[in-house]
Amino acid sequence: MSLTIESSRFGRVEIEPETVLEFPEGLIGLGGSRYALLGNAPDAPFLWLQSLEDPSLALPVTNPHRFFQGFAVEVVDEDAERLGFDGASAMDVYVTVRAAPALEDFTANLKAPILVRAGQAYQVINQAPGCDLRAPLFAAPDGDTAAQGSDSAC
Amino acid sequence: MLRISRRAGERIMLGDDTIIEVLEVRGQTVRIGIDAPRAVPVYREEIWIEVKRENQAAAEAAAASGDLPDFPAKPPR
Repeated sequence: MSLTIESSRFGRVEIEPETVLEFPEGLIGLGGSRYALLGNAPDAPFLWLQSLEDPSLALPVTNPHRFFQGFAVEVVDEDAERLGFDGASAMDVYVTVRAAPALEDFTANLKAPILVRAGQAYQVINQAPGCDLRAPLFAAPDGDTAAQGSDSAC
Repeated sequence: MLRISRRAGERIMLGDDTIIEVLEVRGQTVRIGIDAPRAVPVYREEIWIEVKRENQAAAEAAAASGDLPDFPAKPPR
């Protein structure tokens, strides 16, 4: 059964059931328990998390692996247990994006990625070293890899 | 806010399922152990605040900006 919402950003949108993500704990500090993952195309660089409870709430997200080579997520044991991590099954990973008028000011939150499996999504605190809250998505080509320590996972 | 004095080794119960224990007090630092039900995430407050702000900022920046261009992603670094 499909659902239609009136999104502030997208207008009337028909939500396909397979795009709906349940966030049992909401987004950290922002709440909400159901979002739809919207995109123009499956391989679009940016997708949107549209709240199904608050039509005015939509956050851009991206696949961090697309922009940050070697990006990794490490969570504390309690989180792994809560999420039912077994290390074997793959999870999709998204990070929220802070848009800006200029591309070079776009940042991604590598510190609090969103892990998705089987329609369930959790925003977790990434314990991997060097994962910034505001990592430039389109940084100047030079300088930036040099600035990262060798133990950095992001 | 409820204020309770505890010594190292003493505990506080939040309801029946959440235990907070003072493990060690050394100078200005208190080590705390938390035993909470699986479904309850535990955050350090400063990190929780940072992430909350960043989530809000991502939502607001997106609301303020026009369409996000479907620009091609930069090749991975």
